[in-house]
Amino acid sequence: MSAEPADTGETPAAPTPATSDPAPPPNAPPTAEKGAPEKPALSGAELKKRAKAEKAAKRAQQKAATVGISGAPQDSKPVQQEPKQQKKDGKQTSKEPKQGPKEAGQPGTPLPMRRRQSVTLPPPKEKEEVVKQVGLFGHLYGQPKQHSIAGAAKEVHPAILALGLQYSSYVICGSTARCVSMLLAFKKVIESYTTPKGQALARHLTAHHLSPQITYLQACRPISISMGNAIRHLKDLIVKIDPAVSEADAKEHLIDSIDSFIRERITAADELISSEAMTKITPGDVVLTYASSTIVQTTLLKAHNAGIPFRVIVVDSKPLYEGKALARNLAHHGLKVSYSLISSAAHAMKSVTRIFLGAHAMMSNGRLYSRVGTAAIAMLAHERDIPVTVLCESVKFTDQVALDSIVKNELASPEELLSENERSALVDLLPKDKSSSADKNEEVMKWWRDEPNLQILNILYDVTPAEYISIVITEHGSLPPSSVPVVHRISTNT
Amino acid sequence: MSRSTTIQAPGLSSYLKSLRSTPVEASIEHFISLLKRRQIRNSRPCALATTQLLIQVVKEFKGKDADKLLRRIRDVGRRLIAAQPREMVVGNIVRRVLGLIREIKDDDADADSNAVNSDAGSPTPHHDSLNRPHLASSISTFSPLRHGALPPMDTTSGPESLADSGELPHRPALFSSHTSYAPLGTSLFGLFSQPDTPSNTSTPTGRHSPTGKHTMTASALERIGESTILKRTNIKAEVLEGMNELQDELEQSDDQIAANALDHIHSNEIILTHTASTSVQKFLLAAAKKRKFTVVHAEAHPNDHDAVHATILTGKKRDAEVISEEAGDRWKPLTAAGITVVLIPDSHVFAIMARVNKVILATHSVLANGGLVAAAGARVIASAAKVHRTPVVVVTGVYKLSPVYPFDIDELIEYGDAGNVVPYDDGDFVDKVDVDNPLYDYVPPELVDLYVTNLGGHAPSYLYRIVADHYHPDDINLSGAVERDEK
Repeated sequence: MSAEPADTGETPAAPTPATSDPAPPPNAPPTAEKGAPEKPALSGAELKKRAKAEKAAKRAQQKAATVGISGAPQDSKPVQQEPKQQKKDGKQTSKEPKQGPKEAGQPGTPLPMRRRQSVTLPPPKEKEEVVKQVGLFGHLYGQPKQHSIAGAAKEVHPAILALGLQYSSYVICGSTARCVSMLLAFKKVIESYTTPKGQALARHLTAHHLSPQITYLQACRPISISMGNAIRHLKDLIVKIDPAVSEADAKEHLIDSIDSFIRERITAADELISSEAMTKITPGDVVLTYASSTIVQTTLLKAHNAGIPFRVIVVDSKPLYEGKALARNLAHHGLKVSYSLISSAAHAMKSVTRIFLGAHAMMSNGRLYSRVGTAAIAMLAHERDIPVTVLCESVKFTDQVALDSIVKNELASPEELLSENERSALVDLLPKDKSSSADKNEEVMKWWRDEPNLQILNILYDVTPAEYISIVITEHGSLPPSSVPVVHRISTNT
Repeated sequence: MSRSTTIQAPGLSSYLKSLRSTPVEASIEHFISLLKRRQIRNSRPCALATTQLLIQVVKEFKGKDADKLLRRIRDVGRRLIAAQPREMVVGNIVRRVLGLIREIKDDDADADSNAVNSDAGSPTPHHDSLNRPHLASSISTFSPLRHGALPPMDTTSGPESLADSGELPHRPALFSSHTSYAPLGTSLFGLFSQPDTPSNTSTPTGRHSPTGKHTMTASALERIGESTILKRTNIKAEVLEGMNELQDELEQSDDQIAANALDHIHSNEIILTHTASTSVQKFLLAAAKKRKFTVVHAEAHPNDHDAVHATILTGKKRDAEVISEEAGDRWKPLTAAGITVVLIPDSHVFAIMARVNKVILATHSVLANGGLVAAAGARVIASAAKVHRTPVVVVTGVYKLSPVYPFDIDELIEYGDAGNVVPYDDGDFVDKVDVDNPLYDYVPPELVDLYVTNLGGHAPSYLYRIVADHYHPDDINLSGAVERDEK
């Protein structure tokens, strides 16, 4: 199995780029080894992707040959990784022209092998991929979500591979967190990038190096609005790079720009927003928040540290239970916290004086796109004339519009909806003929899956009408939701 | 108490089985404890158990006087309601039975407008004038003041002494204030009936057999007005017949409601429903026989989701064992009827509401103002339906219709186990954070478009009429009604 050395060969190199993010090296290689034979050779889109990757690999190989490196890829790999490591540490450029094609070429050789293996082995995941579609949301069922790094294009950087898995397993969840982690990973990607001979960085980097990373992340979990904005910003920067600038300078410029993007658009913006939002909390307030938002947490903690006595109600929903962590954190810092689920939101609303909501995105028509359930909370607040405050960095603003939560949304796996307990509660109801000696929980799941007319819907977001939102606090100030497109224009033009 | 408790986990079925063989007073106590322990819960089981128990109470009742029976039922009813006031169905059934007895009594009174009229028909106006000031002064029958006013009733074992005509002389002295209001005929009845009520209410554990007491009082009564009572010898049979009808109504109401289904569901509709309900399930199944539609089922996490899952997969709730035995294999999931069922968590309600044609809600109980108490989450659904202009249809049996007006909404809401929201093994979380788990939501009438009951469809604004049809005005406030009758 030649794929294994290829993958493991990257491990020694990985730790160095990943100093800020230790996850990639331990995760990536084992999953790759396991994943390779499992690879299902199914969907047309995937096949196309693989064919493309293969072609790219061949091209890279040829290039490598012309450059004059003829050593067996397997042998040379550990050696090659060393310079890569050095380059990352010291930003050396001496060996880069040779290295680029080699790096691209290495995984290229084992890749066809991988594919051949997958043809012979039965694809074990095939059953799960036959997802029953909920009619209304049929347009949202695309490629099944990627849960392993199997089948990832060979250009995908290990940091991105690990990140993708963290996205798909909701370890990194939330628009801001995903955006920041992606940018940090992109820094590593750019660091390890070398422009092939005869190509301009400004043209090659985006198209041939960044796009596969983005495609992979997209396959793990659809790109968030903030990520899209950040990517657009980055691409813009790359295109604007003067071809005369040396590659090292260009890369340094890009990395600095990413850093300043994170600093200005997210870190500093959060600081401003939370300071502003904090002033809205008055002593004796009862603040309700839904699910979990970092910026809401920062705001509440700031207000608490400022000595304002107030109470927090965290409303949460299954299956992610994000609010639990928020409630735990707040309680840990000494705030008075109550916790309830969305079914009892009407009760929780009784004593509330203010609602703070985080955002996934603010739509251009003033609507809020956020964790599913937010709209119901805003609606209940609106009914009772409780002011609804949305805390949102302008990086989450988009020129897209949305009227309902159905046209555009993100689907999560229906299996995530049924917890262990809920499945085991159904075990004793299993029809006699269906219950076998096999794993009972699995039987229950199969029962759900096999029921032809039964579907489970698990979407991640919903759209809150603009009239339920009293104020949007951004780093540009506090605005009505109708000002979102204006602010978006300002923030994208600068 | 009852043998069944030791044999199996107590519940509706074991209780109903034990009813025949257990003395009535023990059955009452058993039911009270089952209610208190929430081992019988939700509207239908409570209604069935209450009806069965009251049938036993009536059967066991030996007297022939309708007023006595009324009082007996009311006393039992008050104890049951006190055990679990939020199961409003218990009160509804008690009131229905009381209304039944009153009706029969009034029929008798109408039949012969002689002496009977003076004690059966006329008391009501007297009571009204009597009662208003009286109610205000003695808020609770259990207050020490009240007991202080009636020492002989509490200490003596009333019946025997009552039966003695020797008691008569000093009775007027005790109740001088009351007798002065009433004409002679009624006051005479009051003399004998009066001691019964306080002794019953103040001895909830049944220190003396109510059977014996009633026989004795009845015999005493017979001595006084034989001609009056003879005409009402068949009252018990009539009441029992009426109660059997009530029982049939309970059993058939779902099917009667389901018969309306085709009037409300059209083809290719998307219907949203919430929590697990037999009524709704039957309603949808009836429509599914003729039409194809989609059901979006919100799962009512964290209290009823298991029942929802069971309903979706098997067609019946887990705890529906009693009913399912009767119904045999008529239970099948909607999916088996060719209906597409989409399970959603409660958070998706607003998102999906934009495409929902109709919301069908199950209910815990319906209030006289047209509002309802339903499983938690119903309020969010009803509000979301309102803002999307989606009609909300509430499917309910008339037995769930309560004459109570929701002056204090919080009083109607029961709170459940917080461990369902956050498991107790999450120690530091449970320690630091208040976890709320209300079981019910109040849905105001303006969020409801239509009620479908076993009598047909009604606007929420019309429900007060149905209340008036089913409950006697004197029974609406049961504790007050007791005062009223004590004249």
